[in-house]
Amino acid sequence: MIASNRGVVVSCLLLVVFAALPFVNIGLEISTITEVFLIGIAAMSVNLLVGYTGINAFGNAAFFGLGAYGALLSIKYFHTDFVLSIVAGVALAFLGGVVLGPFLLRRRGIYFSLLTIALGQVFYFIAYRFTDVTGGEDGMTVIRPLVGFLNYKVDDHAFYYVSLAALALALGTFWIVVRSPFGKTLQAIRQNELRVRYLGLNTDRFIFVALIVSATLAGLGGTLFGLLLSNVSPLLLDWHQSGDFVLMTVIGGAGTIWGPMIGALIFVIGKDVLSSVTPLWQIYIGALFIACVLGFPKGILGSIFAAFEARRVVPPAPSSAAQAVVVEPHG
Amino acid sequence: MANLLEARGIEKHFGGVKAVNDVSISIEAGSIHAVIGPNGAGKTTFFNTLSGFYFPDAGTVTFDGHDVTKMINWKRIELGMSRTFQTPSIFPELSVYDNLLIGTQSQAKMAFRLAPPSATARNAMNARIDELLHFVNLTAFKDRPVAELSHGSQRLCEIAMSLAMQPKLVLLDEPMAGLAEAETERIVGVIRDLHDRLGLTVVFVEHNMRVVLGLAHRITVLDRGAMLAEGTPAEISANSVVREAYLGKEVIDHV
Amino acid sequence: MEQIAPQLFNGLILGAFYAIVAIGLSLIMNLTGTINMAHGAFLTLAGYLAFTLVSHGTSFWVALILAPLMTVAVGILVERTMIRPLYGRLPIYGLLLTFGLSLIAEEVFHLTWGANGVPFQPPAILAGTVPLGFMQFPAYRLFIAFVLIIAISALVYFLRRTKFGLQLRAAVQDSEMIAALGTNTQVLYMVNFGLGIFLAGVAGVLAAGMLGLNPTTGNALLLPAFVAVIIGGMGSLLGSIVGGLLIGVVFSMVTLYFPAFNEVSIYILMALVLMIRPRGLFGEEGLFG
Repeated sequence: MIASNRGVVVSCLLLVVFAALPFVNIGLEISTITEVFLIGIAAMSVNLLVGYTGINAFGNAAFFGLGAYGALLSIKYFHTDFVLSIVAGVALAFLGGVVLGPFLLRRRGIYFSLLTIALGQVFYFIAYRFTDVTGGEDGMTVIRPLVGFLNYKVDDHAFYYVSLAALALALGTFWIVVRSPFGKTLQAIRQNELRVRYLGLNTDRFIFVALIVSATLAGLGGTLFGLLLSNVSPLLLDWHQSGDFVLMTVIGGAGTIWGPMIGALIFVIGKDVLSSVTPLWQIYIGALFIACVLGFPKGILGSIFAAFEARRVVPPAPSSAAQAVVVEPHG
Repeated sequence: MANLLEARGIEKHFGGVKAVNDVSISIEAGSIHAVIGPNGAGKTTFFNTLSGFYFPDAGTVTFDGHDVTKMINWKRIELGMSRTFQTPSIFPELSVYDNLLIGTQSQAKMAFRLAPPSATARNAMNARIDELLHFVNLTAFKDRPVAELSHGSQRLCEIAMSLAMQPKLVLLDEPMAGLAEAETERIVGVIRDLHDRLGLTVVFVEHNMRVVLGLAHRITVLDRGAMLAEGTPAEISANSVVREAYLGKEVIDHV
Repeated sequence: MEQIAPQLFNGLILGAFYAIVAIGLSLIMNLTGTINMAHGAFLTLAGYLAFTLVSHGTSFWVALILAPLMTVAVGILVERTMIRPLYGRLPIYGLLLTFGLSLIAEEVFHLTWGANGVPFQPPAILAGTVPLGFMQFPAYRLFIAFVLIIAISALVYFLRRTKFGLQLRAAVQDSEMIAALGTNTQVLYMVNFGLGIFLAGVAGVLAAGMLGLNPTTGNALLLPAFVAVIIGGMGSLLGSIVGGLLIGVVFSMVTLYFPAFNEVSIYILMALVLMIRPRGLFGEEGLFG
């Protein structure tokens, strides 16, 4: 699903709508919507790998958590301001991608997935065990810093717009990547990595860059998430969190630009609602995983797009005898 | 004439089975060379060691003067080798145009770019793609999803894709397998064109003896992983060992 | 240092657990390409079933066989209804499905048997220690070692000497070919899965008496089992055994000297192995490595 110009227009419109949301009462708290955006960005980072490059990454929570820990550690130990904390968090996630990348490149398929789970857990255990530095199981809580040079306190309202800007940035990154020759090659890798290699390309290089971009995006989401809650715990790094991100991508539609955000919306709101209604919410979430995989693998947007594709009238391909003669192209 | 591709003493085993046992081949630049043999003869496995799909357990492969025995596959393509597979290895969700675009981008060294190509570069790539489409007679199907094409046309698309890299040598693995008569003739025509019009060296694996005898300059016969014979079509069809192993004792007409 | 020998022994026992879980995972992964994130849940289920059986008067020895068998029944039901539709599809779907299963399982265990775990005492005959040479070995742990060795040996015998085992090994190499030769691959997949679950079940019953029994007992063994598969070499059963034992020993020894780092240490080991030998100790050369 190559991003279209029409898609760009729709996305810009949506962003404008989102900008107006805080002034409309839709029954949701601003901080909840902010959360959805940030989780959605993390899900988008998974989508880049799973939906576009075709590699089954099940460890992106590590980068999400690295972003959050990076920001909060930098506040705790270096008293950085709001802006610098974001930089610190994103940088740490980026580094995480650079460091883990070479290990992950060794394998494909399910063994790759295994590696993403195991390597992702390294960070979980580091956060869990280095209690003195990271606060261990309880995590860390900080006071959200001001924007240094403006001495400006970022309240819920302002944070919403910061997150919206991050979403726009993530979308922009996606558009650029997906429409570029690099992105087209990534999508070709998803369909047939062997053929890409037999077209003279070192697919490891492409996958490595995709991993780093994905890690950085997840880190962006995580950094802001940590700053939003002013709190971080090892659970943000855990493979359960990674599994949630993947599910969001699949529910919304892997391989579509907005799918992961839709999935994030469903998941975050759904979990909130379920956990307030029943103590058995985990069973419902588990059932959601199963139902989605068995019944709805294309996800919401994916199914919608597929339905449109099927409706397009496609002239049948000429028989093979006819193909032996040059056929005039017909409109 | 120099040997473009040379393999000496190639061996490959899987577990206890020796799929390829001491096979050697010399491909002259500018020739059409066929590798034939009954099923299970190890032809595709041999091809795989030539093209870097896997590495041989023993023996050497030299391409254009370079030792490529353990060279990773994508580097061999850079050196000028290209390959098609028994089942057409294409991008099933893309159009024919996009299928060719990936390779064309690669050849133009633009595949790793984030910035969209300049108008000049795009026009150059489009011209190249049109050329490739014209060569295999698929121009009419340029914007069609490749999944809609007939099997034979998909094969042609794959050949066009492998040409995108401007190779010196084309390895074709059973290009005519599963095709009807008309489509087989198309492929034969394209193989001839690869040699006559583009001056390429072609090595292909094939079962169809009639086609091979009419098309190839030299033929290597494999049986159960080992070399049975090597020579011109005339020599091979006269070779009694080959006839017994592969052809049965029928009389073969040249095309 | 008298601490080293017993710690080493404990490490081997722990490693044997990791190995058995890793083998089960490997069996399922290698043949069907499914990563069974619910493997730990099956392990825990067997433990709980054994507990319930024993609480109602069944002997431990019977429960040791019965509980895993009951768990296999559940496993096969799951495989036929939920996992079979996913064969041949992207690995991500199998991962998500089994992940969802493990979430449900954890909550079900919570509901049925409580959140805090249940006490599971091995039978009195296995309490106490056995003097063997230079040290006293806890009898239960010796028993565990004994059972696990038998289980692994039985598996090896099955894979190498029986016709079915041969078919299984062949199917790992080339499922299409085996199907073309007339073998019922669906049955093969089902039995393979059942085998993996049985091993997990046995481990679950044994682990209950040594590691305790709570809703997350199995999951605690799952991640190290992943590491064991990675270290031992993806695609290799022998590798899973060696990897598991190695991790168990490393974990134990590190617990002795640097207790805070015991979990991280096995990941560090994994990273080292991946750097030096990316395919793992006994893994096969990948197409891309």
